[in-house]
Amino acid sequence: MKTNLTRTILAMLVAAILITAVAGPAAAHHSFSAFNTTEEKTIVGTVKKVEWTNPHIWIYIDVPNEKGGADIYSFEGMSPNYLERRDWTRTTLKVGDKITVTFNPMRDGGKGGMFRNGKLDSGKILTMSGGQ
Amino acid sequence: MASAGILSVAFSSISAAQSNITKSPTTADWTAMSRLPDFSGVWERGGGGGGGAGAAPRGNAPAAGARGNAGAAPAAGAGAGAQGRGLVGAGGGARGGGMSLTPEYEAKRRAYQANPPQDTAAANCLPPGMPGIMTQPYPMEFLLTPGKVTIVIEAYTQVRHIYTDGRKLPEDPDPRFFGTSVGHWEGDTLVVDSVGFAPETQLAAGVPHSDKMKILERFRLTDPDTMSIETTITDPEALTAPYTTTSSLRRHRNWTISEYICEQNNRNGVDDKGKSIINPNFTNDSSTKKD
Repeated sequence: MKTNLTRTILAMLVAAILITAVAGPAAAHHSFSAFNTTEEKTIVGTVKKVEWTNPHIWIYIDVPNEKGGADIYSFEGMSPNYLERRDWTRTTLKVGDKITVTFNPMRDGGKGGMFRNGKLDSGKILTMSGGQ
Repeated sequence: MASAGILSVAFSSISAAQSNITKSPTTADWTAMSRLPDFSGVWERGGGGGGGAGAAPRGNAPAAGARGNAGAAPAAGAGAGAQGRGLVGAGGGARGGGMSLTPEYEAKRRAYQANPPQDTAAANCLPPGMPGIMTQPYPMEFLLTPGKVTIVIEAYTQVRHIYTDGRKLPEDPDPRFFGTSVGHWEGDTLVVDSVGFAPETQLAAGVPHSDKMKILERFRLTDPDTMSIETTITDPEALTAPYTTTSSLRRHRNWTISEYICEQNNRNGVDDKGKSIINPNFTNDSSTKKD
């Protein structure tokens, strides 16, 4: 019985994740085939630039590399229109902010992907369906 | 002389095509407007909204999502609809659930599903047109003026023009993304007939329509901040029976329509073989250009 219950809970969790995955892409004008939506990666860096533009925002992060420099990672988010109605503003992320980004990586191995959420040093968590 | 004759023919067809004169509204016309239901303001599929001042700005609060009847809308995707979120992935097409396609169009749908493109022309910023444009996850605003209803659609910065001045639908319309629309009021319900749709628009993902497609929409308020849209699509070549769905919009009194210039910074796209392409570099800016 306990095993069955565990399985049921697991199945529900998987279902919840799947629904989230489906609901995320629903707000975009393109498919998500460029991103591996079954994989999530996390990376720590510093905000280099935010493009608060349609049809999607783009967030650039400097991520320190072994050579002592930084690699630029780029992340696609929702649209400004969508986000501004869900607590984001164009200054929510500022250049220089330290951020931990969770994302679906590019299928082609490029540095970056689809932004899922970001955690700022202040503890504030930013998601694509609501700023807090 | 021959060229004068051709010119004369050309001019007469222009005047025929433009024969619907928009007359200046009278005081009585404006007064009559006040008796129509209040469609003013900004509406979006899904939950949230309502209430006027002080209403929460969040349109997609999951708890409220069930209010939106998105799952039943023409372009609702299974998962997205369940959250009252509007549906539509790329392309703005529905999945064809509930539609009864003729064998010819069912074969088209199957052929598409057997080898679906990674992405659709929407990735290149081509708007979906009707019926998909009415089911985007972005708001729209209704403007009622004498003789006309205008729907300002945020997604792809689109506008629908619905003439309510009694003019007739054209017999041989040019195909357009939104077709050509006329409307009339049946009590408190705005009834809109549209014909003549561009071949780029789709009944559902991968399902084209014929040039005989017609769309009938019935807009009415079901409570002060909820609008019901019943959409009936007929297409004797593509559908074996009329296809009717009902969706609902919620009014967000503290929202305004924003702009959505899809070409502003679109890094996504699809090539002519249906392969998805993406360029994450901002190539105009050397500071973020990668090797």
